[in-house]
Amino acid sequence: MKKLLAGAAIALMGLTQTATADGHANYPERPIMMMVSYGAGGATDFQARIVTMTAGNEDALGMPVAILNKPGAGGRVGWNWLAGQAEADGYTLGAYNVPHFIAQSIKGGVEYSAASFEPIANWGADPAVLVVGKDSEFNTLQDVIDFTKANPGKLTTSGAGLFVGHHIAALQMEKAGDMKMAYIPTKGGGAAALKAVIAGDVMAGINNLSDAFRAAQAGNVKILAVADLERNEFLPDVPTMMESGLDVDNASVNFRGVMVPKGTPQGIIDKLAATVPTMFENGRVQGKMKAGGSPMHVMNREEVLAMWAAREVALKELLAGL
Amino acid sequence: MSVINLPRLQHIIGSGVVAAVGATVCYISYTQTPSEAFLFPRLIATVFVVLALWTFVKACLGWTKVGNGISLTQFKNLAPGLIIALIYIFWAAKGLGFYTATTIAFFILLSLYDPAPHTAVKSWVKRIITTACFMAVMYGLFALLLKVYTPREIFF
Amino acid sequence: MEFIYYFGDVFTPINFGLLLLGTIGGLILGATPGLSPTMAVALLIPFTFQLEAAQGLILLGAAYTSTVAGGAVSAILLKIPGAPANIATTLDGHEMALNGEGAKALQLSFLSSAVGGVFGVLLLIFLTPVLAQWALAFGPSHLFWLAILGVTVIGSLDSKSVVKGLLSGCIGLWLATIGFDDIMGAQRFIFHPSLGGGINIIAALIGLFAIPQVITMFAKGRKNDGTEAIKVQKHPIKGAISELFRYKRAMGIGTLTGSIIGLIPGVGGQIAGLVAYDQSKKFSSDRDKYGTGHPEGLIAAESANNAMVGPSLVPLLTLSIPGSPTAAVLLGGLLIHGIFPGTDLFDNHPDVAWTFINSMLIGQILMCIFGLYVAGMAARVAQVPQSMMAAIVLGLAVFGSYSVQSSMGDVYVMASLGVMMYFLERFGFSAAPLVLGLILGPIAESNFIQGSMIATATDGLAPYFFGGPLNLFLIAVVVLSVLYSAYMELRSRRYISKEDIVA
Repeated sequence: MKKLLAGAAIALMGLTQTATADGHANYPERPIMMMVSYGAGGATDFQARIVTMTAGNEDALGMPVAILNKPGAGGRVGWNWLAGQAEADGYTLGAYNVPHFIAQSIKGGVEYSAASFEPIANWGADPAVLVVGKDSEFNTLQDVIDFTKANPGKLTTSGAGLFVGHHIAALQMEKAGDMKMAYIPTKGGGAAALKAVIAGDVMAGINNLSDAFRAAQAGNVKILAVADLERNEFLPDVPTMMESGLDVDNASVNFRGVMVPKGTPQGIIDKLAATVPTMFENGRVQGKMKAGGSPMHVMNREEVLAMWAAREVALKELLAGL
Repeated sequence: MSVINLPRLQHIIGSGVVAAVGATVCYISYTQTPSEAFLFPRLIATVFVVLALWTFVKACLGWTKVGNGISLTQFKNLAPGLIIALIYIFWAAKGLGFYTATTIAFFILLSLYDPAPHTAVKSWVKRIITTACFMAVMYGLFALLLKVYTPREIFF
Repeated sequence: MEFIYYFGDVFTPINFGLLLLGTIGGLILGATPGLSPTMAVALLIPFTFQLEAAQGLILLGAAYTSTVAGGAVSAILLKIPGAPANIATTLDGHEMALNGEGAKALQLSFLSSAVGGVFGVLLLIFLTPVLAQWALAFGPSHLFWLAILGVTVIGSLDSKSVVKGLLSGCIGLWLATIGFDDIMGAQRFIFHPSLGGGINIIAALIGLFAIPQVITMFAKGRKNDGTEAIKVQKHPIKGAISELFRYKRAMGIGTLTGSIIGLIPGVGGQIAGLVAYDQSKKFSSDRDKYGTGHPEGLIAAESANNAMVGPSLVPLLTLSIPGSPTAAVLLGGLLIHGIFPGTDLFDNHPDVAWTFINSMLIGQILMCIFGLYVAGMAARVAQVPQSMMAAIVLGLAVFGSYSVQSSMGDVYVMASLGVMMYFLERFGFSAAPLVLGLILGPIAESNFIQGSMIATATDGLAPYFFGGPLNLFLIAVVVLSVLYSAYMELRSRRYISKEDIVA
């Protein structure tokens, strides 16, 4: 009985394999899965759900995109899975966070690097900001710098993990100001790091602009500086770190976008690269993103490739001394 | 007090395996780097190995109340089911596709353990209907309602 | 009293329809193994894109409350806890179902869920500002001690042997360290690629509880003597209500523990049920009946896990910090409509805020009515013959653990843990302390590491972990809990005859 079944099964498997040899003109033929390497409800997850909500429209992919969360270890778990275990058939996409995954691959201990993935398009750029609790004695970045220089290693600063954008910003601040902070990585992402600031568990924090903006609106934190090249449209009154005299560029800005594992057929990559940026520019998507306080920055495949390469160089230099 | 019977022998072997696992964990935690990341595992492994050895010694000396163990009849009963379940989970689910594999495994398990006679046509019909109903519910719940994309090598 | 003003909004045809849909859908999703409340709510988010803010939140709020209660259904009938919140429910609930009291168990669980749930939401309505302060008071050192308090519960959860209970707990604590460590990113004990993401708690729950049960059914073999069939006793709802009043103490302990612990960000929801179960056991005069199908245990666990729903949203609604994964998903549901939780929510969108809170209140009651209505029918599940049940539970376990994050690795982990647990159970180990270790491990570890990092940068380890009234209070509770367990162990030992020990 069992032998018979196994025989039948093998015969059938042979049948199905012949059916997949055509081109990718009909792609996608079934719903697509997008892996997000952070938990449900995090900023990346939230934004990924919004930017893919119109995927099912005829002028976009024509098939819905389902979000699959694989959280853990600052994103390493999800990206390891995408690089090593996911099928490169075009039906498994992944959300990337730069500089996170590039910095992690430079530090080692993971099975991916920038070469393991093919970018499709970028949807958002979320700069890191320096926040302090609403009752903090610090009112400007200069106050923070003065304190840190006077008390090396005493300024407890929370962030979402090691070798994520927040940590990169902290490292850059230390380097630019020639000072030593106490960076405290939290488990549970940006939300937990922000909670530590609001509750007064730590003296300062580095967090996503989008999350910190909400907390500042609610009157729970003060945002002292933005780690970007220009002021942000959400926070026109908050100076950049450079304006405040700390030479920190935009290396820590958290770029979020879509990528596929290496080995995905070129035809599919081309098709995705052509459609996905227009999907991000959809009016409804833009409206929802703005309402949610998430800064958008759409880039196409070529621009993302250049951005990845530039980040890799900058990060290698920054992390070389560690 | 120190009669070696089947449950006690099993208990000694069982707690021995746990102690061995504990020792391995302890060894790995103390030899791996970076040591900051293994601080907590070391703490746990140390308590783990102490408790496991204590249980093992108690089992050997017969000081402890042993669990029920597994009788020979029980083992003979569970072996075929367990083997099919393991083949189903570790190979068939991915190799044949979830729905195909589940249908086959469900039907075989039902036929193996269903007390209705294997000679009567009626009981086979009942088994087939049960399997079909179960699969219909699973397909409706997971594929249609929850839209889970399960591995599907053949059929659906 | 502002909330009464907005009660009308819940009862408009569309809103009430959504509430019903959320409640009934939530019960079904909650009863599906592998679907935790967080996932159920995340699944519903796309539907809210099309709805207005208040309507979307009604759907999500109703679904959240009823998935938590729905988890009890599979916990009682199949011994598969749908989420960590339902672990304690399996301990007595499933035993009751095996004794033919499935209908009673379901009725009690829905009733106590509703009582606990309503209390929790009322706390949310009236005490939000106070509760917000309390939620913030827990820093890393306090969470660490809280996790240790949970560890002390481990030993006494297993009624048979304290040493084996602790050993199971240790195995759980160790299993929790598998995978990438969350702070340093180091790889620990990854023997197989499926373990790269660590052990998923939902998949582990399914394996540890469901698989041993499947194998136990296999072990009974092909029996045809009719003794296996369980007679499901009918149970009047009125009887269940009076039963609930008989166990007021368990009810009260469950509700209070659930709402206090549920408030603490990041910890609450997962352990509220188990801590309440343990506390009510310690205060009960029928201590020995716990674990044999005693209603008190079920009542304490279920009232606690629904009482946690309201308070768990306090940090989100007031401070815009999601205190639990489910709250994080709800945050997304608010943001998508451009509403920021915090002062903005209550000042500028009171209709949304209060309609949402009211819908949870009404949702609790609807959930209870609907649950009671189907309890008698659902309890018949216990009459399904063993052979069929084993195959059904196995199939559900595979599908359920796969659907957690569409991963075959989770299925393998589920099966391996399950088979291991079967053999461990035969030697007197039990699954509950192991799972508690699995849950508490990461909480204890990350808070200890974070706390010690803060401490070394500021005033040193000892003042940080042992200073302040809240730390001292928690340490005192830990010490008391240990002493109490030791005392009970010694006292029971005196009464156990020698034969019992060697048996």
